Amino acid sequence: MRDKLDIEATSRTPAVVFDFANNHLKIAGESYPEDVTEFYRPVFDALDAYLGKLDKGSCRFDFELIYLNSSSAKAVMMLMDKLEAAAKKGAAVDVHWFYDKEDDTMQELGEEFGEDLETAMFHLEKMPG
Amino acid sequence: MLAGQLMDLRSMLHSQGVIFAYSGYVTEPVLSGVGEALKQKLTIDDADTKTLRSVFAIFVEQMQNIIRYSAEKAHQPMPPASDAGALNEIRYGILTIGREGNDYMVCAGNLVRQSDVPRLKERLSRIRNMSKEELKALYKEQLRADPEQGSKGAGLGFMEIARRATQPIDFDFADVDGEYSFFALKATI
Repeated sequence: MRDKLDIEATSRTPAVVFDFANNHLKIAGESYPEDVTEFYRPVFDALDAYLGKLDKGSCRFDFELIYLNSSSAKAVMMLMDKLEAAAKKGAAVDVHWFYDKEDDTMQELGEEFGEDLETAMFHLEKMPG
Repeated sequence: MLAGQLMDLRSMLHSQGVIFAYSGYVTEPVLSGVGEALKQKLTIDDADTKTLRSVFAIFVEQMQNIIRYSAEKAHQPMPPASDAGALNEIRYGILTIGREGNDYMVCAGNLVRQSDVPRLKERLSRIRNMSKEELKALYKEQLRADPEQGSKGAGLGFMEIARRATQPIDFDFADVDGEYSFFALKATI
C-alpha cells in the first residue's frame, strides 16, 4: 500500500491529502467536479485499501469543504460510510467537519452527516479565521 | 438595425434586472466560466458569504440540470467507438441571474418531454411546499436512497436549490407541442 495520496485542488475539485503513514486524512476546498464518479474513484480506492488494513488502529479524517454540489454530497456520504464501517470493526476513527462560520448550510450538512456516525467520533468545528 | 435589435434584447433583460444571461448549448466548461464571472460579480456587489455561496450553489445545480436533462440536444452523428457518446452530446437551455433589491434570482429553462411533466410537477410541488425542516429530512432520505431511474446525479438537485433559496421555489411549464414542454424554475436568494 502506498503511504500517501496527494491530489492538488483545482477550481472545481478539492485537495485530497491522505497521509497514511501518519493516519491523517484530509479533503479541503470546493467540490463540484465535471464527473463526480471519475474524481472520487481513486479517492475511494485509496481509502478502502488503507481502512482494510487499519484494523484496531486509529485515524483522523478532516473535511474542510467550502462548497460541495449535490452530486458530491453523495460521495461525501460514501466516505463517511467507509469511515463508520472501519470504526465498527474496531478502529478508532475521528471525523472532523470544519465549516465556514458565515455559511450555516455547510454547518447543517456537517450535522446531518454527523448524525449517521454511531461509532466513529464526530467533531463539528468552525474553520479558523 | 443590428445594434437596435441587440440593444432591445439587452434592454429587455436589463429591465427585468438580469445581470447574466446565457441561452444556448451548455457544457461543463461553460458552467466553470460563467461561474467564475458570477463569483467575481457577487464579490464586487459585496454580497455576504452566505448569499454568495447560495447563489453560486443554485447556479451550479441549475446549470447541471440543463447539461444532464434538457430534452433539446445536439450530437455528433457518429460518436467514436471508444466512448458512449456522452461527451459528444450537448444540451440546450437558458439561464439568467437577476437582481431585485437585495434579492438574487437564478432562473433556468429547458425543454422536457411531455411524459416527464407530471413527475416533475409532483416532485417540485412537494418540495415547494416543504418547510426547511421537512426539506432537510427528505434530503437525508434521498442521500441514502438509490437514484431513481434516468437520474444522472444523486437526485438531490431540486432539494439543494430549495434549501439554499430564501423563498419557496417557483416553477412553470409551457406546452411547446405534443412531445415537448418548456420547463422553467426560479429560485430567489
